[in-house]
Amino acid sequence: MHNKAGFEKPLNALWWLKHRFFKAYMLREATVIPLLFFIGCMLAGIYSLLQGENQWLAWLGFMQQSWVVGLNILALLASLYHALTFFVLFPRVMPLSLGDYRIPAWAIVAGQWMAVVAVLLFFGWLFL
Amino acid sequence: MSTQELITQELITQVKIQRYLPEQHNEPYWQTFTVPMDESTSILDALNHIKEEQDPSLSYRWSCRMAICGSCGVMVNGIPKLGCKTFLRDYSGPLKIEPLAHFPIEKDLMVDMDTFLQHLTAVQPYLIPDFINEQPASTEPYKQTPAQLAKYRQFANCINCGLCYSACPQFGLNAEFLGPAALTLAHRYNLDSRDTGKDQRMAQLNSHEGVWGCTFVGFCSEVCPKGVDPAAAVNQGKVEAAKSTLIALFKG
Ligand code: SF4
Ligand code: FES
Repeated sequence: MHNKAGFEKPLNALWWLKHRFFKAYMLREATVIPLLFFIGCMLAGIYSLLQGENQWLAWLGFMQQSWVVGLNILALLASLYHALTFFVLFPRVMPLSLGDYRIPAWAIVAGQWMAVVAVLLFFGWLFL
Repeated sequence: MSTQELITQELITQVKIQRYLPEQHNEPYWQTFTVPMDESTSILDALNHIKEEQDPSLSYRWSCRMAICGSCGVMVNGIPKLGCKTFLRDYSGPLKIEPLAHFPIEKDLMVDMDTFLQHLTAVQPYLIPDFINEQPASTEPYKQTPAQLAKYRQFANCINCGLCYSACPQFGLNAEFLGPAALTLAHRYNLDSRDTGKDQRMAQLNSHEGVWGCTFVGFCSEVCPKGVDPAAAVNQGKVEAAKSTLIALFKG
């Protein structure tokens, strides 16, 4: 693509520190890191279950260490934050209407949180 | 500050402007000006004052001074703004004015917007008639119901000011990315009941330089002076692009 002329300054790697809005975006994207740790834990758990009882008990021991619990709590908070940002963006990506009536964004956001609560209640009822 | 106080006091403020005169300097530099202001002084008024009273060499673009033409975009304290729609009264302390980010600077506050204009034209932003079924061009006016209009209306309010490109880090990192306004314009035509060009536009939209170059940073929609919400349009475009991929998959 041709450019007439002019002074150009390429974006440096720290562009996202320039504005509060970009930092919030980076935080949203960073929520994937603790989540990866949680997924790793789950996969290790399934693997050790297949390996037999000793492995399974070792995995349970690993999971009870305070730093592992701490990281997993962080993963939970991170996914809740991600859900929060996702739920707010959703009605803009998928505007819903009933006939000619455009469902307001707040109603869609509220609906999503209600679904989260419903799922939590369902699993609570199933396991407790 | 009340209007009364502003009238009785001669108010002045400092404006730092990034200058670039390619014949005289290799790099941009900062210059500070002192300008009078009142309740109604816009950034554009301040620039006009400097050009008329202090330094006729200052270069910048403007035309309508009423947020219609889209030519007066500048960075104000690091945020893309329309000069004519941004007022000194809303800032305290010295103001920093730079040319729009992510575009090559031609001179002072004027940037080279060629890439932006090429991206806009690349998405075929016009009604494409139904060639496939070879409908004869009708002499009747195209009718559209208010509901059909409402589908794309918000996305048709763009004034091509380019502020969203200066707000978009993905465009800043890769100028090949079609960017918020062009993708919004494509979506606007895809949503139009009179258009049948969606399939023609899709190959380009459904690519890394198209909708998939967007990571929903969302700052474009924050800075848009016309409430177009380009981030929403681009991400609705992702849904459409994904649908078209699936359909192509089933058709084999
Ligand atoms: S979408 Fe908004 S910010 Fe972007 S060019 Fe159009 S009017 Fe300007
Ligand atoms: S001068 Fe036309 S938009 Fe500002």
